[in-house]
Amino acid sequence: MAPFVWGGAEELAVNLQKNLIIAGHESEILRIPFQWEPAERIPTQMMMVRAFELWNVDHVIALKFPAFYIRHPNKTLWLLHQYRQAYDLYDAGQTNLPPNQIGEDIRTLIRNADNETFAESRRIFTNSEVTRQRLAKYNGFDATVLLPPINDAELFVGKSTGNYIFAGGRINGMKRQKMLLEALSHADSRVKLVIAGPPDSAADGEELKATVARLGLEDRVKLDIRFLPRDAYADYLTNAAAVAYLPFDEDSLGYVAMEAATAGKALITTSDSGGILGLVRHRETGWVAEPTPGGLAEAMSAVYADVAVTRAYGSSARALWHSFNIDWSNTVETLLP
Amino acid sequence: MKIALCSSFVPFLNSGARHIVEWLEVMLIKEGHQVERVYLPEVDAPHLLFQQMTAFRWVDLSAADRVICFRPQAHLISHPHKILWFIHHLRSFYDLWEDDLYRGFPDDAKHRGLRDALHAADTSAIREAKHVFSNSRVVSERLRQFNGVESEVLYPPVLDPQRFYCREYNDEIVCICRLEHHKRQHLLIEALQYTNTPVRLRLCGLSSGPNYPEYLLHLIEELHLADRVTLEVRWISEQEKADYLADCLAAAYLPKDEDSYGYPSIEASHASKAIITTLDSGGVLELVRDGVNGFVTETTPQGLAKAMDQLYVDKNMAKRMGHNALNCLDEMNISWSHVLTRLLA
Repeated sequence: MAPFVWGGAEELAVNLQKNLIIAGHESEILRIPFQWEPAERIPTQMMMVRAFELWNVDHVIALKFPAFYIRHPNKTLWLLHQYRQAYDLYDAGQTNLPPNQIGEDIRTLIRNADNETFAESRRIFTNSEVTRQRLAKYNGFDATVLLPPINDAELFVGKSTGNYIFAGGRINGMKRQKMLLEALSHADSRVKLVIAGPPDSAADGEELKATVARLGLEDRVKLDIRFLPRDAYADYLTNAAAVAYLPFDEDSLGYVAMEAATAGKALITTSDSGGILGLVRHRETGWVAEPTPGGLAEAMSAVYADVAVTRAYGSSARALWHSFNIDWSNTVETLLP
Repeated sequence: MKIALCSSFVPFLNSGARHIVEWLEVMLIKEGHQVERVYLPEVDAPHLLFQQMTAFRWVDLSAADRVICFRPQAHLISHPHKILWFIHHLRSFYDLWEDDLYRGFPDDAKHRGLRDALHAADTSAIREAKHVFSNSRVVSERLRQFNGVESEVLYPPVLDPQRFYCREYNDEIVCICRLEHHKRQHLLIEALQYTNTPVRLRLCGLSSGPNYPEYLLHLIEELHLADRVTLEVRWISEQEKADYLADCLAAAYLPKDEDSYGYPSIEASHASKAIITTLDSGGVLELVRDGVNGFVTETTPQGLAKAMDQLYVDKNMAKRMGHNALNCLDEMNISWSHVLTRLLA
């Protein structure tokens, strides 16, 4: 875990714990701090996890790098993501590993350590098809996709179809809220946008504000930059016309997308967004746009072109999500058979 | 401020060591700070000690403005603004070294070597801290004796103390803490053989294993005390605890040479109840003064029986001592406002 950062993985852990307890188990969350800067210190962070002793525990469910290195005879992996900067992000030229022999050595170390811990795990699940494929491609391990259920499903009953597109969740460069703002300036003038969520850093929030000002979009954008109470977030989502979520090549479907589908909202994403494409089918459950302001602007405008079609896409998104048959009691049973 | 609260834990074992961390977390968040609670596992097996200490040394909390470290070996964490609220050493290598039963491994060259290396590592890690607080005079004295470090006593308060109150003084002595041999609930049961009054006993708590609770049950049966002892082997709710304390005659808390005064004594004081403890209970004696806010007895069933009888016979005295217990909290500066001021200074 990254100290002082709370995101989807943290929510998943809390809800997994809650549902393990509901199923009659005792459960504790072990959060091990991980700092990936400077990259030269990553190896000691990995060894740190390996050096801990975890006793008085019957079963470990490990979720993330480097916590999944914890030694335990009965370890199940539910892999949310590996250290992507040593794998696909490295290939994409987006790595923090130094471009020299040390960087190469760290990458080799991570790959070898991953392989060792995957081999010692009893079973491996991944949270998405993307994660599963990546694991097969880079490490040669088979895994079963186990999609995470949504939490507080009762909050996400679709209400009105409002006049705004909602973009919720953490705010940072990888989630590309800024591109949505740039797209908005090219889109139909009826399009309105609500961006709400906690910024990873103050600078991430400031950048959005500056972009709104620069493009003169004040009367078409509402920025609600903070960690929202769950019901405030649900209120934005359930009353939206459509929901946009366009992370760069994310591993999972994404809670925002799953919650939007539960609420019967049409989805907007981009062709390079990764896991969410399992839920967004172009002109069926929403729109898969090119990852450019122009491409996105077209999708955003389409939301307003025919409200009946937008609503129908939303219903299809809900039907598709329900067909996956994902809930917590099935998930717990799969993890601890 | 971004504050990381760092401690070690044994999975699935609840204890007072979690309370000091989690209650402080609540209070810091109330004050508007960002808090990251970091619990890392630690087992005390001597041959695994230094491997785990290395792990603690590799923990990187540079994202925090300040770290506050509690249970060992969390104090090994390196940070430019490290504050210790030191609650105990790895005691089998320190003050319990001379005790073969509690040490649990031989006093040989290998373990003496480990002990000396541990003392050296602890001392340098403790010296890195900007400020060292302890939770009791007992612990401060040990820091001085073993590590040569001066520390400030900062007594840990309980969360929401206003939930404890006094309703009456009935016929029951309550002891609410984990059921462990070193908490010595067996002495309280044995004491009932020597009482001259029908004073009753209630023992509530979880145990780390089945043996000690079974032993207590066996003892109750053997001494034919089933009608005078209530044994609840479970983690009672906070509401139940407040209720038992509101109604009891007095509380008992007699751990063997414990590091701190112990939350059970503070909770009893907030409920205006006298506390029975023993001469060898360590930190508890910083709070309990014999004949003032409770009794400090010989560590014998007979000594305990006498105190229990006195409270039963003279309820006015039980009441007076209970009120003194409440007043002692103020005298000793046991409050969250004091704790926050000192930790954030």
